Amino acid sequence: MFKIMLQKLVSKKWMNLCLLLGSVLLIATVVSFPLYQAAAYDRMLQDVFRNYQAQEGDWPAYFEMNAASQKDKGGKTITKMENILGKISGDLGVTPKMQVYYYSLTQTMMASTMNRSDVGNISVRLSCMSDLDQHAKMLSGDMYSESGLNEEGEIEVVVSQAGLVNLKVLVGESFEFTDLKNAEGKKIRLKVVGVFDKADAGDVYWRVDPDQMDLILLMQPELFREMFTGDNAGKYTMNCSYFPMFEYEDITAAKMNGILEKVKYAVEEGPYKSTIRQPAFLDLMENYAKKQGRIQATLVILQIPVLIMLGAFLFMISGQMYDMERNEISVIKSRGSSRAQIFRLYLYQSFFLTCVGGVLGVPLGTLFSRILGSSRNFLEFEATSNLQIVYTREALYYTLGAMLATLLIMTLPAIKHSKISIVNLKQQKALKKKSWWEKIFLDIILLGVSGYGYYSFSKNTDNLAVNVLKGEPLDPLLYISSSLFIMGLGLLFLRLQPYLIQLVYLCGKKFWKPASYASFMENQKNGRKQQFIMLFLIMTISLGMYHATVARTILQNAVDNVEYLDGADVILKEVWSDNSSASSESGDSAFRYFEPDVTKYNTMDFAQGYAKVIYDTNAYIAKSGNSRQTITLMGIHTKEFGTNTSMPAGLNEKSYHEYLNELAVEEKGILVSENFKTKLGYKIGDTVEYKDNKDNKASGVIVDFVSYWPGYSPTHTVINPDGEPETTDEYLLIAHYNALRQTWGVTPYEIWISMKDGYSAQDVYQWVEENNLHLTKYVNKATDMEDTMSDPLLQGTNGVLTMGFIVTLLLCAVGYLIYWVMSIKSREMIFGVLRACGMHKGELFHMLMNEQLFSGILSILAGIGIGKLTSWLFVPMLQMAYAAANQVIPMRLITNPSDMIRLYIVIAGVVVVCLAVLIILIFKMNVAKALKLGEE
Amino acid sequence: MEEKKYAIEVNHIDRIFPIPGGEFQALKDINAKVEAGTLTILKGRSGSGKTTLMNIIGALDNPTNGSVCLDGVELGKLSDKEKEKLRRKQLGFVFQAVSLIPTMNAFQNVEFSMRLAGIKAGKERDRRVEECLNLVGLGKRMHHMPAEMSGGEQQRVAIARAIAHSPKLILADEPTAELDSAMAAQVTKLFQEMTRKENITILMTTHDVGLMDAGDMIIELENGQRIG
Repeated sequence: MFKIMLQKLVSKKWMNLCLLLGSVLLIATVVSFPLYQAAAYDRMLQDVFRNYQAQEGDWPAYFEMNAASQKDKGGKTITKMENILGKISGDLGVTPKMQVYYYSLTQTMMASTMNRSDVGNISVRLSCMSDLDQHAKMLSGDMYSESGLNEEGEIEVVVSQAGLVNLKVLVGESFEFTDLKNAEGKKIRLKVVGVFDKADAGDVYWRVDPDQMDLILLMQPELFREMFTGDNAGKYTMNCSYFPMFEYEDITAAKMNGILEKVKYAVEEGPYKSTIRQPAFLDLMENYAKKQGRIQATLVILQIPVLIMLGAFLFMISGQMYDMERNEISVIKSRGSSRAQIFRLYLYQSFFLTCVGGVLGVPLGTLFSRILGSSRNFLEFEATSNLQIVYTREALYYTLGAMLATLLIMTLPAIKHSKISIVNLKQQKALKKKSWWEKIFLDIILLGVSGYGYYSFSKNTDNLAVNVLKGEPLDPLLYISSSLFIMGLGLLFLRLQPYLIQLVYLCGKKFWKPASYASFMENQKNGRKQQFIMLFLIMTISLGMYHATVARTILQNAVDNVEYLDGADVILKEVWSDNSSASSESGDSAFRYFEPDVTKYNTMDFAQGYAKVIYDTNAYIAKSGNSRQTITLMGIHTKEFGTNTSMPAGLNEKSYHEYLNELAVEEKGILVSENFKTKLGYKIGDTVEYKDNKDNKASGVIVDFVSYWPGYSPTHTVINPDGEPETTDEYLLIAHYNALRQTWGVTPYEIWISMKDGYSAQDVYQWVEENNLHLTKYVNKATDMEDTMSDPLLQGTNGVLTMGFIVTLLLCAVGYLIYWVMSIKSREMIFGVLRACGMHKGELFHMLMNEQLFSGILSILAGIGIGKLTSWLFVPMLQMAYAAANQVIPMRLITNPSDMIRLYIVIAGVVVVCLAVLIILIFKMNVAKALKLGEE
Repeated sequence: MEEKKYAIEVNHIDRIFPIPGGEFQALKDINAKVEAGTLTILKGRSGSGKTTLMNIIGALDNPTNGSVCLDGVELGKLSDKEKEKLRRKQLGFVFQAVSLIPTMNAFQNVEFSMRLAGIKAGKERDRRVEECLNLVGLGKRMHHMPAEMSGGEQQRVAIARAIAHSPKLILADEPTAELDSAMAAQVTKLFQEMTRKENITILMTTHDVGLMDAGDMIIELENGQRIG
């Protein structure tokens, strides 16, 4: 049997290579998902830790454990604590980075042996810190010696600068404790040998800052332990602090939940919970875990259609194979082979192909995920960002699953085919029945289901936004609706396509040349055989387009939103001083602000320009009774403001600068938000009286209403403690800066800056430092943008969609080509007959071109149309499911022409290759040989 | 004296195929003259070179040496285009295996060879299709698909197709191989009738000894050589 299988593999090498290619691609793609995800999660998690380290300047992965040992007989506490310290990294499965312990005896008095008159007895804490000698540098004197004792038997100690100043000890001075005695009962003497400081300011070792050690004298740690712990512990009282630190690189996403659980248990319920301080990384991990849940659910949903496409791809190829081998199978069957034998033959063959597919697919999948890992944006790759690929258990399951699926897909059709003897085959060929899906109206059902999904989601768009606020994952139904929609439309197209072709045929019935006639006949009678490849083409193209649009739209809208909400490139507001403290003393009753020095704003090299903006979010309008309506008040110089800010076109009725001009010409004019009209009943020409947060009155005449304004969000939604969304309207009033200044005198303002190209947030930061500014508000668009772009959900979505896009393109290309070549090969004999009847090669080519036009090109066009329609319908809702809670400006559907061009190039490439293959096949075709084929 | 024009004139034909490690001579110095309006039977065991000779006569293959004239026209002097035109208009083929176009019904299959021969669509063409199908006895089954017909019926459709565009010469390669003897006799009889009625020259290969009597002339091949 095995020999037969090998012979079969060799004799049908092209077919089997195609099948192998299919299984390799399937397995590689399936494997790359978990590999990529695991690696991407790791990267995200590492980013969390790294950001923490960068922002806090502290090592995130460490514990702090504190215990007091009070005259503890036998030193059990310390022994236990030291035990835990040694075990903790192993328990968590992480590599220890550093173990720091810090023992500190209670405050004790000591007296100088030098009989100094300037200082009396000094209260100190004799302490030790592990490995101090390796992390400290000496400012004067020396580090304690290895033994920790000098020749006179005095304990050598070092002191920090803070201690030196506070304790007023001298280097070289010896002391004797008044009460503190050693185990033998002798008073302990010590000598200050040096002053230390951190050798490296960024060293994570310094869990206790030397600046805080103003009562501390540090001695050799081994000597400390020998003298004061163990059997001697019963005589002393001390605080023990332990700082086990470990490498956060070891906290992989896969391990994280285990670590999280253990740490949580230790902190909240474990026997030592009282000693452990809540570590910083616990919060980091918990936040991340919440996010990861959402991300994971979303990514899984997103990759389902691609996996289905892959299965379909393989199914299509194996179906083609069985179709070609039908004759062979039926002949074997008729000659007495049992069904089981035939089935076994194909099972062995599939098993062999699957195994080879697995061996080649896994490394290829690794490569895929590496490529994916270097994508930071949709279809954009960064060579530098390298993904650390780890083979997780999940990846193994995926691999096995993919292999099993491959095996089943390739073998199962054999059951059906092994039933057929040559007699059945002939009978079967005579039937031209409708496809099963046509009979059950699957297309209509799918469209109905997805239509219902679309309808219910579009009716409840608010819910989508609320779910985002609640941090829930993408609703699978929403995404599945869109996939079903694509499939339903694809099937509907397949249902209609024959009629379309029939129509074309009837229109030109009299004019068709023999070649066209033959291709029409082929399509009418044999068109259903092509349905699968056509559906496949449609699905790949429309899914590709849809995914590209989803990814671009989500990202671009997030970016646009930040662009809009931040208002300007950089906004800063200094702390303004006032006369409130001075006025009560001097009796000057008028409250006044002091304007900070404005000349420094001219030293901002990075700024293109800046505008002064009075920005008061607590201004209000008095309403009837005692109630008030809080508004946001902006005071602007129209010209300055206009040149330093911008707004996307089309948000308001008129252009941004028209509104500014309207305001500019009206000295007492104000612009107000649309809801002044809709909710408060104002109209153009009305006078509005308002007060700022200090109850200063002002008024203005409405010149126009705006729906959007840089930085302005018309509504604000939050989730209240009951978990219900609460939306409040935000009111905006824009007045002249000069008018406000005239009415109110000096009023605090913000500086809205537009940046020159080529300067970064770092430049702004540096300038702020140099000028020693104290800021109450700081907005930097570039940083906010970076945060938005690096959002893990967005990144992950980009990755999976990029992957999906590439895989679908690849499948589309390979699948179509394979299918096409096989289908030509299987019809070689007919071509021979046609040639013998006098059809020339050009006509044959023409005929096949027509067929390709009917099936391929039409499907491609349908795919493009369906992709566009689906994007138009579903992307707005999907985007909402991704949008930040503060999404303000209306969604724009983004299709990046370059994505479409890529798609079209690949399609064109496939078509060209198909044509080339056609030409080669036809011109190589030997008529006599083709005819011979039929005789076998 | 004017030389007589034969329907087929084969002069000193050799056909050598390159095979791995040498060459194989399929035909050796074949000579034959076939008169128009006759049924000639080409006989011989399988591998004797029958199909090769047929392919060469049908302008599907070229001889290594020698020449073939159909109705006085030397095939070797024709371009590929002219050969195709010749095949479309003057030749009809019937193959051993069922060679109907599976996506067309009997009527359309027959009609298709007329389309290829450039015969304009119209009542005349439809009438001729029906006439040919009636001639092979399938007038009642002309709207059936090939898959719905028996092997013999399909072969008769193939014959109808071969004669529909009124070719001068029909080349039939083992047309009876897949038919039972009664059916084979029927097909052969049909050929005989056609040579009479339509003045068509038919060259047919067979190894069925029972059919030999039907031929006006017999050419026998063995190992690539004419032996009778």
